[in-house]
Amino acid sequence: MSRRSRLRITLSLIALFLTAATSHAGVDLPGGKHLDKVDFERHIMGLFGRMGCNSGSCHGSFQGKGGFRLSLFGYEPSKDYISVTRDNLGRRVNPVDPERSLLLLKASGQVEHGGGMRFSRDSWQYRVFLDWIKNGALWHAGTGTVKKITLSPPELAFKKAGESGQVQVSATFADGVEADITPFADFRTNDDAVAEVSNQGVVKSLRAGSTAVIVSYRGNVLPVRILVPMELPAGFAYPSVPESNFIDREVFARLCLLNMVPSDLSSDEEFLRRVSIDTIAQLPSPDEVRAFLVDKSPDKRAKKIDELLAHPLHAALWATKLCDITGNDTASLENPAQTKAKRSQMWHDWFRKRLAENLPYDEIVHGVLCATSREGKSPEDWIEDVKKIDAAAVKGFAGEYADRGTLDLYWRRQQNQTVEQWGERTAAAFMGVRLECAQCHKHPFDRWTQEEYRSYANIFSSVTLGASPDAKKLIDAENVDRKKNAPKNNNQLAIVKEVFLGPPAKGLKHPDTGLPLNPKALGGPDIPHEKGKDTREALFQWLRGPDNSFFARSFVNRIWGHYLAVGLVHPVDDFSLANPASNDKLLDALAKAFVDEKFDIRHMERLILNSRTYQLSSRTNDTNKFDKNNYAHSYIRPMMAEAVVDVLNSALSVSEKWGNDVKQDSKAGEVGASQFQNPAMTYAFRIFGRPPRTTACDCERAMEPALPQKLYLMTDPGLIGKLNAPEGRLQQLLKANKSDDETLDELFLATLTRLPTANDRKTFADYRRTVADRRAAFTDTLWALINTREFILNH
Amino acid sequence: MTKRFASDCEGFARRDFIKLGAAGLFGLSLPQLLELEARAQDAPGGRQTTRRASSVIMVWLSGGPATIDMWDIRPDAPDGIRGEFRQMQTRAGGVQICEHLPRMAQIMDRCTIVRSLAHTIPSHGPATVFMTTGNKPTPALQYPALGSLATRLLPAARGVPPYVSFSELRNGAAGQAGYLGTGFNPFIVEGAGAPAGRGQLAANLRVRGITLPTGFTLQQLENRDRLLQAFDRGFEATDRQTDLVDGLDAFHRQALEILRSDRTRHAFNLDAESASLRARYGNNPFGQGALASRRLIEAGVRFVTISLGGWDTHGQNFTALRTRLLPQLDQTLSALISDLDGRGMLDETIVYCAGEFGRTPRINQNAGRDHWARSMAVVLAGGGFRKGYAHGTTDSQGMAPATEPCTPDDIASTIFSNLGLDPHHELTTPTGRPVQLFREGRVVQRLVA
Repeated sequence: MSRRSRLRITLSLIALFLTAATSHAGVDLPGGKHLDKVDFERHIMGLFGRMGCNSGSCHGSFQGKGGFRLSLFGYEPSKDYISVTRDNLGRRVNPVDPERSLLLLKASGQVEHGGGMRFSRDSWQYRVFLDWIKNGALWHAGTGTVKKITLSPPELAFKKAGESGQVQVSATFADGVEADITPFADFRTNDDAVAEVSNQGVVKSLRAGSTAVIVSYRGNVLPVRILVPMELPAGFAYPSVPESNFIDREVFARLCLLNMVPSDLSSDEEFLRRVSIDTIAQLPSPDEVRAFLVDKSPDKRAKKIDELLAHPLHAALWATKLCDITGNDTASLENPAQTKAKRSQMWHDWFRKRLAENLPYDEIVHGVLCATSREGKSPEDWIEDVKKIDAAAVKGFAGEYADRGTLDLYWRRQQNQTVEQWGERTAAAFMGVRLECAQCHKHPFDRWTQEEYRSYANIFSSVTLGASPDAKKLIDAENVDRKKNAPKNNNQLAIVKEVFLGPPAKGLKHPDTGLPLNPKALGGPDIPHEKGKDTREALFQWLRGPDNSFFARSFVNRIWGHYLAVGLVHPVDDFSLANPASNDKLLDALAKAFVDEKFDIRHMERLILNSRTYQLSSRTNDTNKFDKNNYAHSYIRPMMAEAVVDVLNSALSVSEKWGNDVKQDSKAGEVGASQFQNPAMTYAFRIFGRPPRTTACDCERAMEPALPQKLYLMTDPGLIGKLNAPEGRLQQLLKANKSDDETLDELFLATLTRLPTANDRKTFADYRRTVADRRAAFTDTLWALINTREFILNH
Repeated sequence: MTKRFASDCEGFARRDFIKLGAAGLFGLSLPQLLELEARAQDAPGGRQTTRRASSVIMVWLSGGPATIDMWDIRPDAPDGIRGEFRQMQTRAGGVQICEHLPRMAQIMDRCTIVRSLAHTIPSHGPATVFMTTGNKPTPALQYPALGSLATRLLPAARGVPPYVSFSELRNGAAGQAGYLGTGFNPFIVEGAGAPAGRGQLAANLRVRGITLPTGFTLQQLENRDRLLQAFDRGFEATDRQTDLVDGLDAFHRQALEILRSDRTRHAFNLDAESASLRARYGNNPFGQGALASRRLIEAGVRFVTISLGGWDTHGQNFTALRTRLLPQLDQTLSALISDLDGRGMLDETIVYCAGEFGRTPRINQNAGRDHWARSMAVVLAGGGFRKGYAHGTTDSQGMAPATEPCTPDDIASTIFSNLGLDPHHELTTPTGRPVQLFREGRVVQRLVA
């Protein structure tokens, strides 16, 4: 250390002592509060967090910014204290002349700051920093460790839009001190159309609806539920609305609080179209529509629901969804390349068979989560099975894979998956929890720490793909054989491998101490590796058990999200503290019913589809037109990519040719592969958002409209060709010697599931007069129908 | 002031992302575009980045070219590594390249060669993703291709698609929009891979989904559209306010605009070019595709990918290069660069020629070279890149960079910096995770003119 710097430190210390001795008073905070003593962890770091200084794009980035580095989201006070007080020759904090501290000069814009001016010289934040520096820039380790934060009030129910309310945040620290930390907390609204929130916690309601304001303070996150009712005209009497089951009771109770009146019951046409798309991704045929309309029995909707739920395509649709959830990514499956798509199909078939049998959800999950290749069979028997399955994959699409007890394909990936990935994948699939943030740092808006992330991942450290000691000899011999009989230079050989439980790998270590971490369920019990025991089995038992709040809730939420277009927790795989359910009571009730009925998926579907809530019209009224997440009306939504293809084909009455990778004439909803050789269908799937299934996120399925979709419907040569296909609906109709009126009826029923209105008839008649050729007039009409929003949206 | 800063520093909020996603593509309105552009200029770090280029043509050599036999010849390497080709002097003083690239040698004074590029993935799929996204692939996140990022961040001209690709890279496993969402995928040119039918070349080129199929006239489209507007009127009453219906409506109008506009179709009308120019580009799909790319860029397209396959030369590397690959590349790439230059477009357009990796310095027993990612060379021209410059060197055996090592992230960062975009600009994934464009990338200042 040079003499000069030693001198400087001595001077600083003297100055510190002097200023510390003479200072006093503290800082006045917004809202009339007074802070007696500024604390590094509680206040300074609180402000770093709230102002975004320690975010990943600013000083929290791994390289820091402008030579100044803070720990990401402020989880390491010791490092931050050193950065602030020591680095950069200590110029950031200047005890001799506190106002000349670089920290203040930069943040207040007096010296150029890449991040701009964060607060002005006359702001309270400035005074907080200044006071802290004046008082010696001290740090008392651990003062900022938060035991819990409390919000007051925990819920804000406004009377009408335009009102404001204050949320107070207090923290109980590890030392038992409880303090109001409102100015140091971060507030954000989940829906800025319903309510906005100031950085002092003042919530202003803007429009009728419900949302949450998320409060976070130093990694602790809590939501405040916000309710803003509609303002009703004087004398408005809230009508009584019939309820079909507990779903309606919960939904309508919430709507009543919001002064929103549910829309009317959907018409038969509207109901039939919606329920057909939702359950089997098909449109009803014109005859089916007519039959349904003339049926006068009071329970015809319930009967239709039962019929659709028993339809083979219904199991296929949910198999597709479970393929998304479990990541049936064709490219990741094993060689040879030409069998990959077929293995993907086996994956789909495995689910489909179980869904068709309505096997309980927990049993299905068990077959995925606890899969092994041999399932207790002898190596000899198992190898015979493998040969059969491999042969089936080469030959065609029939095979016995679906008869296996477990889905070992889930664990068989060409490229090795790390335990981290298994942790993330299983948590997203079966708990609806996104863990990936916690791989590198504590999740900023959820409870998960790196330690929990790693302990959870370690559960999977014994799952091995290769050859178990028992079976090694046979597997090796078989592989030698296969290599011998293969053509030269074939690097696409199907090598026999087995998913089995090996000795656990080393596993991930504690992020700070570097000590081994015992496997532990996410927010659950320790699950140690024991010889002869499958940790996944214990995990499964915990998942489905009474102590797990995610398992049943995440799946009923997925079912609900599928049928109602918006999950109670939305996105459906984002259960986190910052993303509370829009209606907790309903979600709890649904989960309870699911558990009580022993995870009977179809029972849940029947409950939902028979509720009046599901069957409401999409036509809004004056009280519910703003509603987006309280289910006051049916939400108009895009269709899944598979449904788009199937709905188009069923409207046009054509079938799809798929090429070699997919069985001919399959419906899109029956296709297992995420990749296959057929450029036209690959393109259609891609632009309508079918997921590649490479990451464990529901967001991979794009459900937003995009321009190429519109262009596809207007111009795609394949689709235009289908309009005129000889076997297709239009050509058959034109041949059938029907009148123009009858033909128009058929086309409307086939596409929009309704008869043309008087206006539609007139539009057509006017058009018909301008086009000489009858066939051309109807081709134009069919093109126009499939290009309407009414056609391409589910409503 | 404070508020605007917050959104800059934190990147786009998730809601902005969704809105932009829905507006998508050439769907942005002019004010939105201006705002976006302004934002890009304003972004932290954006101040250092001046825009030097406005569009990119990526010439993709699929399979992994043996750049050791092209741009980085090692005449002094030991037997078994030294290739069969000699090097030749170029118009860039001191820069030598393969003797079988004579036309490139003639225009080397307009190009930059990066000889010290290296990564660690010798497998086609992930290496293609790495090179075309500027981010090392990870299973946790699908990074968007450079073209998709450019589409997302740069304003687009009306009536043309912003990102056009002449082939599906790795069968669609690369070149896609990843976490940006399907709205930022490339528009794919059809008919580009078709075998060379003499004279018919490019007659069949069309971008899937943005031109009317044969026999479908514009007049017919207008008629049908009238019909459809009338049929849809009833539905409008059902929903008066959802973003979804508004979005679809906007897309509908844009779709019509594109179909009515003939800018893209015109770009593919290669008959508008002189026969001699067409011949200079090469009478094959690759050559004509390169010419169409130039025309697309002229029409306002931001990012075009053209691709030439066959570079995976595990066997008979030298024969394949000498007889087939190098002559074709030499002709087309040099024609493209000099044509752009002749039209004054090269200053604004980056030409980037690369493949997923290089090939082993050691020659295998089939006179081939195998996958090698630890050293490779790429060529850049125009759009603010230095002229007549070779960057970095490899060691005496061509195994690894010896000086100025750089990575795919660095090249991507430098390209984006020349496009006026901060390589560390932050975007938000649909899960709400903030992600920098190229977190590991740094701008290679010496590549910039």
